[in-house]
Amino acid sequence: MAIARVAEPSGSLQEVKEGGLDREDLLQIYRNMLITRGVEERGHILYRQGKIPGSFYTGRGNEASSVGVAMAMGTDDVGTPLHRDMGVHITRGVEPWRIFAQYMGRADGPTHGRDGNVHMADMNLGLVAMVSHLPAMLPVAVGCALAFRIREEKRVAVAWSGEGAMARGDAHEGMNFAGVRQLPVVFICDNNQWAYSTPTHLEYAVEHLADRAAAYGFEGVVVDGTDVLAVYREAKRAIEKARDGGGPTLIENQTLRMEGHAVHDDAFYVPKELFERWAERDPIERYRTWLHTNAELTDDEQDEITGYVKKLLNDSLQRADESPQPDPDTLLDGVYATPEDLDTPHHK
Amino acid sequence: MSEKTYLQAISDGLREEMRRDHRVFILGEDVGVYGGAFKVTLGLQEEFGPWRVLDMPLSETAIMGGATGAAMMGLRPVAEMQFADFVSCAWDHLITVAAKQRWRVGTPVPIVLRLPSGGGFSGGPFHSQNPESSFAHIPGLKCVCPATPEDAKGLITAAIEDPNPVLFFEHKHLYRRIKGEVPDERYVTPIGKARIHAEGDDLTVVTWGAMVYTAGEAAKAVDASVEIVDLRTIMPWDKEAVLDSVRKTSKVLVLHEDTRTGGFGGEIAATIAEEAFEDLDAPVKRLAAPDCPVPFSPVLEKAYIPQVDDVVRALKELIEY
Amino acid sequence: MATGTAVDVVMPQMGVSVSEGTVTKWNKQVGDSIEADETLLEISTDKVDTEVPSPASGIVSEILVQEGETVDVGTVLARIGDEVGAAAPAAPAPEPAPEEPESAATEVAEPVVAEPTAQPAAPSENGKSFVSPVVARIASEHGIDPSQVPGSGSGGRVTKKDIQAFIESGEPASTKASEVVAPPPAAAAPPAAGQVTQAPEATAQVGEALEPMSAMRRGIADHMRKSLDTSAHVTSAIEVDMSKVVAIRAKLKKEYESAYGVNPTYLAFIARATVETLRDYPWVNGELRGDKIVTKSFVNLGFAVELVDGKGLIVPVVKNAETLNLLGMAKAIADIAKRARDKQLTPNDVSGGSFTITNPGGYGTFHGTPVISQPQAGILGTYAIVKRPWVITDDNGADAIAIRSIMNLTLTYDHRLVDGALAGRFLRDLRARLQTWGESDY
Repeated sequence: MAIARVAEPSGSLQEVKEGGLDREDLLQIYRNMLITRGVEERGHILYRQGKIPGSFYTGRGNEASSVGVAMAMGTDDVGTPLHRDMGVHITRGVEPWRIFAQYMGRADGPTHGRDGNVHMADMNLGLVAMVSHLPAMLPVAVGCALAFRIREEKRVAVAWSGEGAMARGDAHEGMNFAGVRQLPVVFICDNNQWAYSTPTHLEYAVEHLADRAAAYGFEGVVVDGTDVLAVYREAKRAIEKARDGGGPTLIENQTLRMEGHAVHDDAFYVPKELFERWAERDPIERYRTWLHTNAELTDDEQDEITGYVKKLLNDSLQRADESPQPDPDTLLDGVYATPEDLDTPHHK
Repeated sequence: MSEKTYLQAISDGLREEMRRDHRVFILGEDVGVYGGAFKVTLGLQEEFGPWRVLDMPLSETAIMGGATGAAMMGLRPVAEMQFADFVSCAWDHLITVAAKQRWRVGTPVPIVLRLPSGGGFSGGPFHSQNPESSFAHIPGLKCVCPATPEDAKGLITAAIEDPNPVLFFEHKHLYRRIKGEVPDERYVTPIGKARIHAEGDDLTVVTWGAMVYTAGEAAKAVDASVEIVDLRTIMPWDKEAVLDSVRKTSKVLVLHEDTRTGGFGGEIAATIAEEAFEDLDAPVKRLAAPDCPVPFSPVLEKAYIPQVDDVVRALKELIEY
Repeated sequence: MATGTAVDVVMPQMGVSVSEGTVTKWNKQVGDSIEADETLLEISTDKVDTEVPSPASGIVSEILVQEGETVDVGTVLARIGDEVGAAAPAAPAPEPAPEEPESAATEVAEPVVAEPTAQPAAPSENGKSFVSPVVARIASEHGIDPSQVPGSGSGGRVTKKDIQAFIESGEPASTKASEVVAPPPAAAAPPAAGQVTQAPEATAQVGEALEPMSAMRRGIADHMRKSLDTSAHVTSAIEVDMSKVVAIRAKLKKEYESAYGVNPTYLAFIARATVETLRDYPWVNGELRGDKIVTKSFVNLGFAVELVDGKGLIVPVVKNAETLNLLGMAKAIADIAKRARDKQLTPNDVSGGSFTITNPGGYGTFHGTPVISQPQAGILGTYAIVKRPWVITDDNGADAIAIRSIMNLTLTYDHRLVDGALAGRFLRDLRARLQTWGESDY
């Protein structure tokens, strides 16, 4: 028995404009989706060239979900994106060269080589760095929303999780508390159908994860996560509702993880037909078609955007490659914060 | 100065900081209307309202995760575990997120986590533990264990001021049993500085929390001049104060209520052996709870927690060595 | 031309737990050109099979791992350069760098584990034998044999208070030890000087007596053994005509004693001349530290001093001896000698030397081969000044035999750092300074 609302697909240009996006916004979304995929494709190459230590994770297939939600966030809002959400970092303004430096463990990455992959963030861009224990970030985002509520600020926190993370206790505790206090937080569940090799029917027994929202006293919405404009519309609605004191929303963006869990995983356990079916709904291809059909995207415009992204990524790669290795002598720096560390806008 | 209980001193410190700094807020189970399981926060919700003294769902993870997020957004949460034992449910957020965020990504997480700890009243295996050594082992966390009312107030103030996650181990057995003079004005007891509870020349007892008083009584029962070093802070701990005392007396007993193996006393003993070996006139002695859970029966609990007689015996062995 | 811009293609790590990979196919051969990110080869790991894109554009200059070979993650598989065979242009398939022999890992000998020597953690019946670290240290600092101190601790152990009381009471350190029965095993804590060789338990045979080794004796024993094991000891000797020094000292003696209360000993003259000479020979005043040669802008001059009881030796150090004139040197030597006799030396007084003088000549010996005080590079031995018939050349150039005050000097040096010729020049210059000492030289 489904409880959550299933969102409509995206509509005409007129509808989209009424939703708050002008044509430049639409092109920006396209650009960000291309950069997101480009960064991860370049990362793949770097990894296979032996330039990235450890393992490597991407979010192929999740570009619409991550970019769509991030576009809906306000400047002062904060979020806790995870490792499939590169589009959030790109949309919030993290420069690709710093991401490459992060991938390679260099001194100029956001964590200066102390952590890898998408374990990074920039508090100045409203991003809180994830940990590997993914659902742990839900209560943290709820805590951010609590701070906004205590200070009576019109800000919203966005918490990301996957369908796997939803099985853990801290996801429940975070959403329960947020519901009890009607905190300004939006929960985004990227349901990409596979938690490493575990399929959804071994992770949960409800029809939609968004159905659970009712149990916490707030709204649940199921969205086609390959439809960037539908994602944007629902995220925008939920974020503004939270901002206006309407409490949390749980949005379940349905996608398919188009690669293995990480680079070492060939995802043999995913039926080939499933990949084929979802490849037809590739979020970037879908959106490009929509732009051609509805927003008169010209070939020249498209070439210009493609060329821009390519140059950006090439320049970024070069800049990241020039970044030095971190200095082992700094290993113990910052284990403990100093009072000066609190001298930031966040801690006033 | 006025005479206060240990509990009242903590409560006063919290109230003072909440009046002084609007960023400070309290979250925990039953901390509001009820005033906390031990009444440490009694009256605070009345004064500061329901959004600065939050009665939380029975969700240690939400308490700790929530405090972490709020601290990153610039607030100064003071979270309470109803019993220190329940911190196991909040382990992930404390260790995985709060302790490492400054080092990983430069984000300080100024949180105080109050942990009513310790036994002596038949609390059994889940309401009596002293888990400080588990947290002292985690880089990025600070651990304080005040023994006196004066230090309880000075250290809660210091903990709130500190830019790091600080675990405040308040010993339940001291709450109402221990009274002392407490300055009425605001003051800060520095984290990482020990206090000489009693001066002496013949041997040193290094301890903290409720064991400070056990050591004090034992010292009166032996014919020797015993120096009692109250560490006050487990992480960072005042190595110099301990080594100075050991260099003076050359004999040392490390005493704690936590279990022996992996207890913080092992770190202290090892440091003394490394850095003051040539000053030792006897092996460094440890006295701690045996390596088993805290028992419920008063008879068993008495056998478990180091008693004055046990300390006297240990002191005599050192004196006679 | 070998290019400096060759780019290595390495075996990538396909997953955190993957440690090796197998080359399954080379898509390019040596000499082929390739674009960056174009597939260069295919590899197989126990987790996944994948293509490896080229990290750079250029020519495949070397292929170092052949198809079918399995290598560790990070191993260089190929190089992309400007031309073929960056390292060896003539060879189409250059030899791969020699790998460590496969057997290297397995041939490492098992470390020899010594049988642990049972040591009592606490004193038992023969508790008197156990010397606690602090007692060992105090005993060493004051040249006391702890076994001579009455013990009040468990089993008669000497406590810190016992030894402090012993020192305050002024008991001489030379109390004769006379235990005839076998002493307990040498389980005492080592003195600060270093390790002590564990000797098997000694038992007295008929006609023999046993006495325990003092902590100082153990320290000396250990240091001497260690020094001989460390330095390549070589000794050179030279004869010095001390007649001028003898004459000048005779003149100065009265003045120094009445005005300053200090005796200008021959040792002070020799020390003064030695310091001057060391300035020209920094290696003789230096040391070997690891694989580096350390030279010093100061001379901290040690003097070997025998303890009154003849049972030990201590080497107090005159710090910054290069700042002292003859009078200052005489005073400094007198001061350390007195404090050594009075057992007033601090640990600081007996450490940090850069060169040492030993003076066994007081008993008439004319030669010796002293042992270097580690980590120094040399030690000067001074011997008895004796009047000897000596061939001299007079002002007219005629040889004659005269009675002169002659002294032998030895320089024992660490041949790892100081060669014989250098030592010879040092002794030559030192002799010249002493033989030409003028009345205005201080």
